[in-house]
Amino acid sequence: MSAVLEVTDLGRSFGGIAAVDGVSFEVQQAEIVGIIGPNGSGKSTLFNLLTSVHKPDRGQVRLFGQDITRTPSHKIARAGLSRTFQLPALFVNMTVRQNLWTAAVEGDWRGAPELANEVLELLDLAHVSDELAGSLSGGQQRLLEMGRVLMQQPRVVLLDEVAAGVHPRLRQTILGAIRELRSRDATFLIIEHDLELTQDICDRMIVMDAGKIVAEGSFEEITHDPHVMEAYLGVPAE
Amino acid sequence: MSSDDSVRKRAKRGPERRGAATTSMSSATTTTKTAEAPTTGPRGRTIRMAGLIAFAVIALTLPLWSTPYWIRIATGVALWAGLALSWNVICGYAGYISFGHVGFFGIGAYTTAILMQPDHGWPFFATLPVGIVIAAVFAVITGWPALRLKGAYFAIATWAIAEAVREFTTVADWTGGAGGLTLPIGPGSNYFYYVMLIAAAIAYVLCYALLERSRFGYRVKAVRDNEPAARAQGIDATKVKIQAYVLSAVIPAVLGGINAYWITFINPQSVLNTIITDQLVVMVLVGGLGHAWGPAFGAAVLFLVNEQFLSSFGSSTSYIAMVGVIVMLVVLFLPDGVVSIWGRSRRTRLVRQLLGRAADDFRSGNAAGSGGGR
Amino acid sequence: MEGLAQALVTGILIGGLYVAISVGFSLAFGVLDVVDLAVGMWVVLGAYAGVKAHDWFGVDPFIFLPVTFVVFGLFGWLLGPLIYRVRTSRYALPALMGLAFTFGVATLIRGGMLTVFGYTPRTVQTDIVSGSWSLFGIVMPAIRVVGFLFAVIAVAAFLFFLYFTRTGLAVRAVAQNKESAGLMGVDVKRISSLVYAIYTGLTAMAGMLMGAVYSMTPELGLRYTLFAFFVVVLAGLGSVLGVLVAGLFLGILQALTTTYVGADYTLMTVFVVLFVILLVLPQGVSKFAKAVRT
Repeated sequence: MSAVLEVTDLGRSFGGIAAVDGVSFEVQQAEIVGIIGPNGSGKSTLFNLLTSVHKPDRGQVRLFGQDITRTPSHKIARAGLSRTFQLPALFVNMTVRQNLWTAAVEGDWRGAPELANEVLELLDLAHVSDELAGSLSGGQQRLLEMGRVLMQQPRVVLLDEVAAGVHPRLRQTILGAIRELRSRDATFLIIEHDLELTQDICDRMIVMDAGKIVAEGSFEEITHDPHVMEAYLGVPAE
Repeated sequence: MSSDDSVRKRAKRGPERRGAATTSMSSATTTTKTAEAPTTGPRGRTIRMAGLIAFAVIALTLPLWSTPYWIRIATGVALWAGLALSWNVICGYAGYISFGHVGFFGIGAYTTAILMQPDHGWPFFATLPVGIVIAAVFAVITGWPALRLKGAYFAIATWAIAEAVREFTTVADWTGGAGGLTLPIGPGSNYFYYVMLIAAAIAYVLCYALLERSRFGYRVKAVRDNEPAARAQGIDATKVKIQAYVLSAVIPAVLGGINAYWITFINPQSVLNTIITDQLVVMVLVGGLGHAWGPAFGAAVLFLVNEQFLSSFGSSTSYIAMVGVIVMLVVLFLPDGVVSIWGRSRRTRLVRQLLGRAADDFRSGNAAGSGGGR
Repeated sequence: MEGLAQALVTGILIGGLYVAISVGFSLAFGVLDVVDLAVGMWVVLGAYAGVKAHDWFGVDPFIFLPVTFVVFGLFGWLLGPLIYRVRTSRYALPALMGLAFTFGVATLIRGGMLTVFGYTPRTVQTDIVSGSWSLFGIVMPAIRVVGFLFAVIAVAAFLFFLYFTRTGLAVRAVAQNKESAGLMGVDVKRISSLVYAIYTGLTAMAGMLMGAVYSMTPELGLRYTLFAFFVVVLAGLGSVLGVLVAGLFLGILQALTTTYVGADYTLMTVFVVLFVILLVLPQGVSKFAKAVRT
């Protein structure tokens, strides 16, 4: 089976500092890959490069075999790649429901109301569905980000700390949503600080530090990798 | 934004059935408390419908029972309500502050005036579509680069564009230069009243249909609220912004054409005067930014005040100064416009958030890619 | 060839004044995060202060310059806090409202000037210098040379303040990062008022000099706003060196257009160039700004 997402030697620097520095990896169909690493290690920048929010200085990104390295963001989204943002990027002057509809505005618009109702139930947002998105709590905002992803019915999903600050019970809801999408063959790339959560759900982990991939493998493998300990704890690798 | 309230109330019924209510000339009824909203919904709609019908009857029969003076005033109010609406489209809905809208007004006026000169001799109504096309093309050409700019950059770019249009008409021969152009004398004032009224009404219905009841409105508002997120939903933000800009450009072009025929003499000082933009800004700010009928209200009030000034002082220069003072006071003390006085607190918050978002855009625009700017 | 040299010299002499107009504007932009749309109005108002100093008091405008600075600085000192308030109000009132506010200020000044001074063009009369000097066949009207020199002195004083005083350091800190500056104990509000005061004072002085070179009407304010904006866009935000170069470039561009195309087309040329810059470099502008800031 060919890779859904192929990243080759991707690099981008800001003001002389390499935020992402020669990153290469592949993600297979229906795989859930976790990306961990300390703050500033380039995880979110990587997502921004994959979705053309920023243009890479070098390297290549392929989605379903197609080169999308310099494809505009909206075309990438239409090709089936959906994402959340590290800082919730909601349409703050629209209601929760309208936010969900908007996620379907380029997709299944007719089916949007029904799907939105399902998503609202699934994410426990029904009671705030007519509130403005800007008035939601931090956790609810992340849930709504997740909801927009569900509305897009994506084939590849990039989640950027989608469970941060979310109530533990709702965290299970998010995990359930991820599993549900995966059962429909969706592929995931997940940035997460909560190792427990990643352990729960990820098939494979990628560890980043200073813009580079320092380790890759199963949860067991990477937690015993000295590079990872160094990246996280500052203990030099022996 | 205009009828977010009503949209919210009807939200459960889904996009395809959204918006049974009308544009809202009477959406003051939505000032009921949130808790009562579900029960007052149908009644509110009846009142709105009744209000709209009453308004339509009054507006349509005005020439039958009114004086020529008031018909002229009403024509002016319709003109300015339409212009304010167009400014609200780009500013309130799309989140871009344009100081160059007078340029489109002037383009429409000059198109009609030039085509109706004896050597061309076009009939009046044939000139309006030409004005629309020229304004639309001009909006695309100028909007395409300008809409990549944020906040102040866009504002000043549009200002410069309008100023360039004025310079051009002043210098060029076929626009009559500074001397301007004279048009054939048109039919009577009732004719212009109805034409202006219908044009403004069409503009309101069109904008309402496009921005409140179609996918397009969702796209525009999504781009306004958060451009990167909108792109991540597959929305072609560049295209949407240009479409919104074109929509907001063709309205003043049509109204400008009608206005030219109405006043029969135009020159750069009359139809490309920056005071027109000044007025639009103050009308929309006073009425309530991003509110559907607020600008119409602001337009009516401001136009009447302007008339009063003209008849009292015989010059409009002190009026300009007063407009400036009003803008300053509104920004300082009434940032959501007069409608916020009797509007619900939610409305107030909504506009503030829109503005807050614009501020963020502005900051990130200054420091694109640095993740937050200063 | 002589025409070209003449145009270059003329352009540089006027460009000095553009620098004086834009340098404070650029700083106020950086510190208050608001483009002051009234900048051109301060220019014209400064020119009228010179006109009226001569009309009413018989004072030579050049002697009146320090008074202009103080008086307009006072205006700015009073206005600055309002802009600061709009910009930083609790409910995140934004750049958009800040813009609208300065737009209101600009409209007020324009309307006020039209009411008081009317539409008739006026020139600042001075008795200090007259005639013109000639060097290698290049004519330099004395008033332009003196105006240029005054502008150079004013800009130099401004830069000295900015780079060699404690307060100037605080100003630069605020311009770069308000939050950090605030955390370091800088009174951001006071600095904002001060910057706005200095900016209005400086701009009005430059306007008075400008009024000695060109005749002024209240309607010209917008033109100078656009010119100042042109310079700041071209320079890149927060770049003082950029303002020096861009201001001179604007002067030269204007002089070349006047010489080779015609004075009527000056504005249009400037607009087209501005438009092309915005077209080609919208990211470039902010990128540049970021590079300068970091």
